[in-house]
Amino acid sequence: MANLAQTNLRSISKSKGVQGYKRQKHIWAAIFLAPWVIGFLMFFLIPFVRSFYFSFFELEGTPEGIIKTFVGFHNYYYALNEQVTASTSFRVELLNTTLDAIINIPVLLIFSLFIAVMLNMEFKGRAFVRAIFFIPVILNSAAVTSALGGGDLMATLLEEQGINQIFDLEYYLLQTGMMPWLITFIVGLIDRIYAILSLAGVPILLFLASIQSVPKHLYEAAKIEGATGYEMFWLITLPNVSPHIITVTVYALVDTFLTSSVSQIISEELGYSDKWGQSAAMAWIYVTIIMMILLLMAIIAKAMKIGGSHYEE
Amino acid sequence: MKNKWLLSIKNSLLSIQTYFKEPRTKMVWRRKSSEFMLKLLRTILLFGLCFVILFPTIQQISMALRAPEDVNNPAVVWIPQHFSVENIKIAMVVLDYWKALLNTFKMSFITMILQLLSTSLAGYAFSRLKFRGSNLLFIGVIITIVTPPQALSLAQFLYFRSLNLIGKEFSIYLMSALGMGIRSGIFIFIFRQFFRGLPKELEESAQLDGASVFRTFWNIMLPNARGAIVTVALFAFVWQWNDAYYVAIFDVSTAEFPLLTMQLINAAENVYNALFYTGGLDLIGQNVWENPLFLALISNVAALLMMLPLLIMYIFVQKQFVESIERTGIVG
Repeated sequence: MANLAQTNLRSISKSKGVQGYKRQKHIWAAIFLAPWVIGFLMFFLIPFVRSFYFSFFELEGTPEGIIKTFVGFHNYYYALNEQVTASTSFRVELLNTTLDAIINIPVLLIFSLFIAVMLNMEFKGRAFVRAIFFIPVILNSAAVTSALGGGDLMATLLEEQGINQIFDLEYYLLQTGMMPWLITFIVGLIDRIYAILSLAGVPILLFLASIQSVPKHLYEAAKIEGATGYEMFWLITLPNVSPHIITVTVYALVDTFLTSSVSQIISEELGYSDKWGQSAAMAWIYVTIIMMILLLMAIIAKAMKIGGSHYEE
Repeated sequence: MKNKWLLSIKNSLLSIQTYFKEPRTKMVWRRKSSEFMLKLLRTILLFGLCFVILFPTIQQISMALRAPEDVNNPAVVWIPQHFSVENIKIAMVVLDYWKALLNTFKMSFITMILQLLSTSLAGYAFSRLKFRGSNLLFIGVIITIVTPPQALSLAQFLYFRSLNLIGKEFSIYLMSALGMGIRSGIFIFIFRQFFRGLPKELEESAQLDGASVFRTFWNIMLPNARGAIVTVALFAFVWQWNDAYYVAIFDVSTAEFPLLTMQLINAAENVYNALFYTGGLDLIGQNVWENPLFLALISNVAALLMMLPLLIMYIFVQKQFVESIERTGIVG
């Protein structure tokens, strides 16, 4: 071992020490990134550019192949101004989803961090509770949703039997004589709990993993100094978790858009073989909007100094 | 007599008062009560949330265990009158369960390993092996994260057909190995953020000891990023397990190589046909399979069957989330 270290040291000093290490680093960076770069060029960039190209064409799928006619920016114009479905339109949904994302993501972040901190505490039955919080992650699948969607019939049956709702909260609250707007708020909040929980599954796990990797000795030192749990959260957990707040934000943003009706409309348009060009244009608008939100968030994060690692520089 | 009683009560009250007034006991009591309140709040909150998550699932399990004849029985609400695993048996036949389970497991496991390799390497390079232009390349990662899969599906399908990769299990592995699998971008992001959080001294001391860049990565940085490894492995596995998109585009699921998701979607879309072709109809009487509710029930049971192995595996894996990592060699 020592021998090996020595020879290595010698080889480092031979190749001019630090300079050599730096060069070695560049070589390894190229090796480490090679698979990703190849994949990116082959499987992503080519279809990506092609879909951009498609977005300027009127495409028609025929048995002989695809017929293309150049239409310029018409597809974009169509997506923003003309596209309508039975009850809504692409533009309306895009606006709604963007607003939803901006409002929901902070709530989601705080909620999932809070739950992750709780799941990290020691208590009886922790394994069981953690397993339950994992269920939304599993349920978040197109296949499962389509199978359970077939259960609309079941839902009506259950409703007939009156077990859809254990007790009618709204009715109960009205009986107590509360202000109606407050009742709507509470009932709306409770209705949303499941929606938030199903989005929060992955963020909770990400936060849990990042809390786990905070060095233990920091907490031990803090305990000896007499810090309370509250202080430890703000001074140790939060700064150490903050790089992952960015990860979770990106994930949550993408997930919100991916599960929104916007992405559904894009898929639906893709279903008509004469609307592929329009669908591509919509996808491009969608990507642009998310990139813009991300840019905005990056600027805010930079200004507030969230997410920078305190080990760097 | 009465005075004496009052006096003794007064005395004892006083002594309790002085006991509580003493700053030390005051603090102890305050801490104890706040601890208790915290525990109580936590228990109530977690219990409530667990209930919200579990409620629909329990409902489905209860439905799943009913005898097929009892589906419409209004007298049965929560606990089935006749316990029966008949529904489960039928759903298993419809899904071609054991074969599909094995295939899905194999595929998820291989993609998990490949994704781990490709994304951890890329994440490490993006965080620790910086060079000019690496930030520009990282924007490429962000774009792969942001682009919705369906935006590329048509172009991707045409392109893959020209490469002759359609209908092959191998194409999914190839995508994962090259960092373009299901949500690989977010995995690269996770690894990058984790590696960035590791102290620079780790790398420097390894460098001083003469370790090569690869050895530093493999023997020192990677073990310290265990949290990231566990998380990425978990998500890579689960998302591949649940994936219906790439599997459908590449047309991987066939009669010889059934996968759970595709079988489930087929079953959900047309349970009757699925029952007919797999011979599931022979297991039940006509009056049962003509009931649309029963058909819906079967697809629900099938969904449960697909989730169950994941849940069981997770209970074993979650222990990995428990221990905090002791960083080797460096304190403070």
